[in-house]
Amino acid sequence: MTMGSCEHLQEYKTTHGTNSFRIIHTYFIACSSADARRRKAKSCVCHTCRLHGPRLHACLNCIYFGCYGAKHIHEHAETKGHHLAVDMVHGAVYCFECGDYMYDEQLEEIARKQYTKSKKGIGLRANFSSWEPNEVEIEILRQNPKRRKVEIKSSIGLRGLINLGNTCFMNCIVQALTHTPVLRDFFLSDQHSCQVLSQDARQCLVCEMSRLFQEFYCGARTPHIPYRLLHLVWTNARHLAGYEQQDAHEFLIAALDVLHRHCKGYSDNILLSYNSQLNAGTSDSNGSGNPHHCNCIIDQIFTGGLQSDVTCQQCNNVSTTIDPIWDISLDLGPGPPAGGSSNSNSSPNSGFTNSPGTYEPTSLLECLKRFTKPEHLGSSAKIKCSTCSSYQESTKQLTMKKLPIVACFHLKRFEHSTGYHKKISTYVSFPEELDMTPFMSSSRNNTNGYNNQVIQESSRGLSCDNKYSLFAVVNHMGTIESGHYTCFIRQLKDQWFKCDDHLINKALPGDVLNSEGYLLFYHKQILEYD
Amino acid sequence: MADPQDRKLKDAQMRATINQKLVETGERERLKELLRTRLIECGWRDQLKAHCKEVVKEKGLEHITVDDLVQEITPKGRALVPDDVKKELLQRIRTFLAEQSNI
Repeated sequence: MTMGSCEHLQEYKTTHGTNSFRIIHTYFIACSSADARRRKAKSCVCHTCRLHGPRLHACLNCIYFGCYGAKHIHEHAETKGHHLAVDMVHGAVYCFECGDYMYDEQLEEIARKQYTKSKKGIGLRANFSSWEPNEVEIEILRQNPKRRKVEIKSSIGLRGLINLGNTCFMNCIVQALTHTPVLRDFFLSDQHSCQVLSQDARQCLVCEMSRLFQEFYCGARTPHIPYRLLHLVWTNARHLAGYEQQDAHEFLIAALDVLHRHCKGYSDNILLSYNSQLNAGTSDSNGSGNPHHCNCIIDQIFTGGLQSDVTCQQCNNVSTTIDPIWDISLDLGPGPPAGGSSNSNSSPNSGFTNSPGTYEPTSLLECLKRFTKPEHLGSSAKIKCSTCSSYQESTKQLTMKKLPIVACFHLKRFEHSTGYHKKISTYVSFPEELDMTPFMSSSRNNTNGYNNQVIQESSRGLSCDNKYSLFAVVNHMGTIESGHYTCFIRQLKDQWFKCDDHLINKALPGDVLNSEGYLLFYHKQILEYD
Repeated sequence: MADPQDRKLKDAQMRATINQKLVETGERERLKELLRTRLIECGWRDQLKAHCKEVVKEKGLEHITVDDLVQEITPKGRALVPDDVKKELLQRIRTFLAEQSNI
C-alpha cells in the first residue's frame, strides 16, 4: 500500500493531463447538476455485463466502464493495455500495474472540490475534513514539545475576575463568552489577524479578547484583573462608561457590536459597512437587505435570521422579511392584553393553544411559543397591504429562518413600561437540551411555497440538526435598582461552575437549572461545515 | 405462473429503474449521507477502523493492498451494522419509492 502516486499515474498525467479524470468525476461520480445526475443514472452500467456495479470503475484512457468485482475492468486493462481506472463511487484511481489504488494530491484536490459542490447541489452539508498540519505547523509543534491534556479534574479555562466597581455585569458576560466553545476554538487557534495599524492595536477589542482567552486558558489560578477590557469598553461604548450598575444584556449586545466592528479593523470601518451594504443589496437572494451580511467570527457564531410574516386579513397575502438577530428577547409576565382578543380565532396555527393576555410563561418553551405565536395587530395598527393596496388589519408571526450557532435568550426580567420600573422574579424553567425545530420558519404551516421545501423535508431525516445544549446562564440577584450578577458556566461536559466575580465554585447541573435565569446561552449540538 | 426466467428479467429491470431513480434525484447520495451519519453515531466506523488497523499491522503496511483489506473486513463490516440502522434505511427507501408515481 502506498500513500502517494505511482510512476504510471505520473506518466499518465504528463501525457494526458487531468482532464479525463475531471470529466469522469464531474459527470459520473460527484454530480452537481440535475443534468449530470440524469446522465449518471443512465450511463453508469458495466459495458460488459450491463449491470450497475457494485464497484464500477471507469477507464482513464478510453470510454469504458466495467465491474471490479466480476473483473470486467481487469479484463479491459489486460486486453487494451489501459492500466489506470477510476473507482466510480469513491473517485480513487487504481493502477493495474501496481495492483492497488493510488493517492495523487492533484487529483484528490479536484475530487474534493467536486464533492463539496455536489453535496451543496442536493442540499447536504459538506464533508468534514480533518486538520492536516502544514509544514510550518509541524515545525511549531516540534519546537514546542510541551502538551497539556484536558482531564475531568482539570481546572482549565476557569479563572475569576476582579470586580472593578460594579463591573459584575461585564464579568458574567466575559465568563459566558470565554466558555463559548466555537469562540474559544477561534481564539485559541489564533485566528484573529488584526487589521488595525500597530499603534492602534491596543485599541482593538478582538485583540483584547484574544489576550483574555490566553489569560483564561494559560493555567494561572489567581483572579484576572480585566482593567484593559473595561477601559476598551468605556472608550468604545460610551453609554456603559462610569462606575454605575449596568445591564448585562446591554453589555453583551454592545460587546458583540464592538467585536463585530473591530473584526474587520475599525479604521476603515465606514468603508466596510458601506461595502457590506452594497453586497447585501446585490447578492442577497432573499431580498431581505441584511445590514450586516458579514463573515466575521461574531456574525458566524451569533447571527440568526428572524423571519417576520405579516398576513393581510383581507386577502391573505403574506409579506415576509428576514432580519439578522444576535439574541432573542423573550417577554415574561402576562401577555399583551386586548390587542387580538376581538378576533381570538385568528391563529392559523392551532399547535399553540395559549391565548395571549391570559397566561404568564413559566418555561423557556412557553416563552418561545409565545414569541412565535401569530399576533393580531389590531385595528389601530393597520398596515398597507401591497396586494390590496389599502390599509388592512393583519397578523404577524415571528419564526426562526436561520438558527445561529450560539443562541442567547434574554428573559426580559426588567420591565420599563410607562410610569413604573420593576423586576419580574418569576421562576422560568429551561432545559439542558433544547430543540428549536418547532420555532423554525419551515415548521410554520402555511401554503406560500418555500422553494427549498424538498431539501428541508429530506434533511429532516438527520433530525438533531436543530438541537442545542445549554452552556452558560447569567443570573441577577436583587432589585431593579441594585443587585448583583453571577453566572454559571459549563467547563466540560456535565462540569458546571458558578462564577461570582473572583470566586469560582463547583456547581451541580440541578443548581443551574433551578436558578433564576436572566440570559441563557445555548450552542448547537451539530455544526455544519462549509 | 410466470416463467422464472421471465421473472428474473423483470426483477433486474426493476432494480435498474429504482437505481436510476435514486441516482437521478440525488436520493442515493442523501441515503448514503444518512447511513454514514448513523454508522458514525453507533460506533460502527470506529470499530471497523480499529479492525482495519489490526489487519494492516498484522500484514505490514508495505504488503497490504486495498483489495486485501476489503476482503478481510467486509464480513465483519456487514455483520456489525445494527438492525435499527438497516430498518431506518429500508423505511426511507420505501417512502421514497412510494413517492415515485411513475415506477
